[in-house]
Amino acid sequence: MSANDPLSHLSEAQLLAMTADLDAMHHDVALPALTDSLAEWTDDIRSQGDGGRDADADRQLQFDRRRFLTRAAGTAGGIAGVALLAACSSSSSSSTSAASSSSASASASASAMATGTAAGTAMGEGQMLSGDLQVVAMAASLENSGIATYMAGIKAATAGKLGTVPPAVVTFAETAMAQHQDHQKAWNAVLTAAGKQPVTATDPVIQPTINAALAKVTNTTQLAELALLVENTAGQTYQNGLSVITSAAGIKTAASIQPVEFQHAAILYYVLGKYPVPNAFTGVSLARPPSDYHT
Amino acid sequence: MEIDETALSGLIEESQDTHADALRSAKGPLADMVDLGQQTRAGSALDPDENRAFAVENRRRLGSIARRAGGLLAATGVIAAIADYIGSPAFAASGTDVQVLQTASSIEVLAVSTYKTALGLPYIGGSSANPVIKAFATTTMGQHADHLAAFQSATTSLGGTKQTKPDPAFVPVADKAVAAITKAPASQGALLVVALALELENIAAETYVNNMSLLTNASAKKLTASIMGVEAQHVAILLAVQALLKAGDAADITLPPPVAKLPAAAGAVGFPNAFYPTTNAAPASQGAL
Repeated sequence: MSANDPLSHLSEAQLLAMTADLDAMHHDVALPALTDSLAEWTDDIRSQGDGGRDADADRQLQFDRRRFLTRAAGTAGGIAGVALLAACSSSSSSSTSAASSSSASASASASAMATGTAAGTAMGEGQMLSGDLQVVAMAASLENSGIATYMAGIKAATAGKLGTVPPAVVTFAETAMAQHQDHQKAWNAVLTAAGKQPVTATDPVIQPTINAALAKVTNTTQLAELALLVENTAGQTYQNGLSVITSAAGIKTAASIQPVEFQHAAILYYVLGKYPVPNAFTGVSLARPPSDYHT
Repeated sequence: MEIDETALSGLIEESQDTHADALRSAKGPLADMVDLGQQTRAGSALDPDENRAFAVENRRRLGSIARRAGGLLAATGVIAAIADYIGSPAFAASGTDVQVLQTASSIEVLAVSTYKTALGLPYIGGSSANPVIKAFATTTMGQHADHLAAFQSATTSLGGTKQTKPDPAFVPVADKAVAAITKAPASQGALLVVALALELENIAAETYVNNMSLLTNASAKKLTASIMGVEAQHVAILLAVQALLKAGDAADITLPPPVAKLPAAAGAVGFPNAFYPTTNAAPASQGAL
C-alpha cells in the first residue's frame, strides 16, 4: 500500500466498522449516563425554583464583547475572521444594539431559515429565565448557531458553491452537526422538563456575525475556519459555564459536552493544516455570557 | 512522504506562543488557590465526614467501573488493585479536592513518563519516526508536564502534598503494555504505542470530566475544566492516527493531511461520542497520598 496509490487507501469498510463500534458504545454508555444527569438536574432546578439560584450568572463572567471580537479576528483568520470582526465592529458594542440586530434578523427569519441560518426572537427566546436555566437557554441557542453553520455549509457544498468538497469533510460536517443536535436536545430537555419552552432560535448576538461570514465563504477552507471559531466558542462557553452552573447534575452535563466541542476543533485545526492541539490549557476568552439569551 | 519540516516547526512555535497565552490564563485559578490554600492552612481542619462520604462515592464508582470497564483495565485485573488501594489506610487522608488533584497529578506523571518512553523508540522519537507523530508525542508530553505542574501547584495551594508518583493502579497496565511494545517490530509497535496513549488519554479526559462534579473549590474546577478538553483533543488526534495506522497508511499522517484522498468515514473517527463518557474514569482518590 502506497501513499501514491489512492485506490489502495484507507479501507472505507474498516473505518465504517470502527465508527459503528464507537457509535454503539456511545449509545450504550454515554447516553444513559447523560439521561441520568439531565433528570437529576431537572429535579435540582425544580427544587430550587425557576432559576436554580438567586445570583445573576452574569456576575461570574468576566466577559467582554470586545474580547470576543479581538479573539475572533485572531482565531478565525482569513475571510471568516475578517468578516466576523467587520460584522461585529460595524454594530455597537452594547447589548441594545445587538438586540436590535437580532430583531432585524428576526424580521428576515424566513429567508434565514431558508438558508439554514435560523434566527429570531421567538422560538423559545424571551422567556423569563435566570440562573442555571438562563445558562441552559443560552447553550441551546449556541448549539442552534452551530447547527445552522454546518447546515448552511452542507447546503452550499451540495449546491456546488464551495468547489470540490472532500468526502471526509462532508462526513465531518454531518457528524459534528448531528452531535450539536444531540447537545441542543439535551439542553432543551432541561428547559421542557422545567416547564419552559425549548429554545430553537440561534444565538441572537453572534448569529448575525456568523451569517455575514457565511455569506462570504467560497471554499471549504473558509468554512472550516468559521466552523473552528464556532466550535472554540462553544467549548469555551461550556468551560465558562462550569463555573456558573450551580447544580452538580448540570455540571456533569456541561462537562460531558465541552470536550466534544474541543474535539471538533482539534480535527478542524488538523484539516486546516494547523497544529491540532495548540494549547495545554483551553481558555474562556471566546465564552458567550448567559445574557446572550434575551429574557 | 510530503512533510515540510520547516513549516511544521513554524506551526509548533506558533502553537507554543498560543500555549503561552493559555498558560497565562491558567495562572488566574492557581493564584486564587494560593489565597485559599493559605486560608486553609491557617485555620480549617479536614472534615472526616466529608472524606468518608467521598470514599463511599469512590467505592460506588469503582463497582460501576468493574461492571462496565473494557480495554486494558478489564484485561489486566487492575480493578482488584484499585479496590485494594482504596481500602488502604492512606485513602481519604486528605481533603477531597486535594485527593482529586493528587489523583490527577498521578495520571499526568504516568502520561509524561509514557510519552517519554515512547519517544525513546526509534519509530516514535528517532530518525525513522514520522515527523508528525514525533512532533505530536513531543508536544503532548510537554502539555502533560504543564498539566502536572498545574495540578501539583493547585494541590499545594490547597494545603496538600504534591503527588509526584504515577497512579499506582495504572502502573502495572502501562508497564505490561510497554513490555509488549519493546518486543514488537516497528510495524506493530507504533499501533501499540497509540493504543496505550489512547487508553491513558481517555482515562485522563474521563477522570477530569467526572471530577468536575466532585470538586468543590472554584479554582480547582476552573483548572480541571481548562485541561479536560485538551486531553479529549489528544484522544481525537490519536483516534485519527490509529485509523490511518490500522489501514497501513502511515504515510498519510501528514500536516496538513491529504484530506481529498481520505475516505468519507475518516471525517468522523476522531469524535465518536456526542457526550463524553466517564465509565473509565479513575476513582477520584485513586492517586491520593
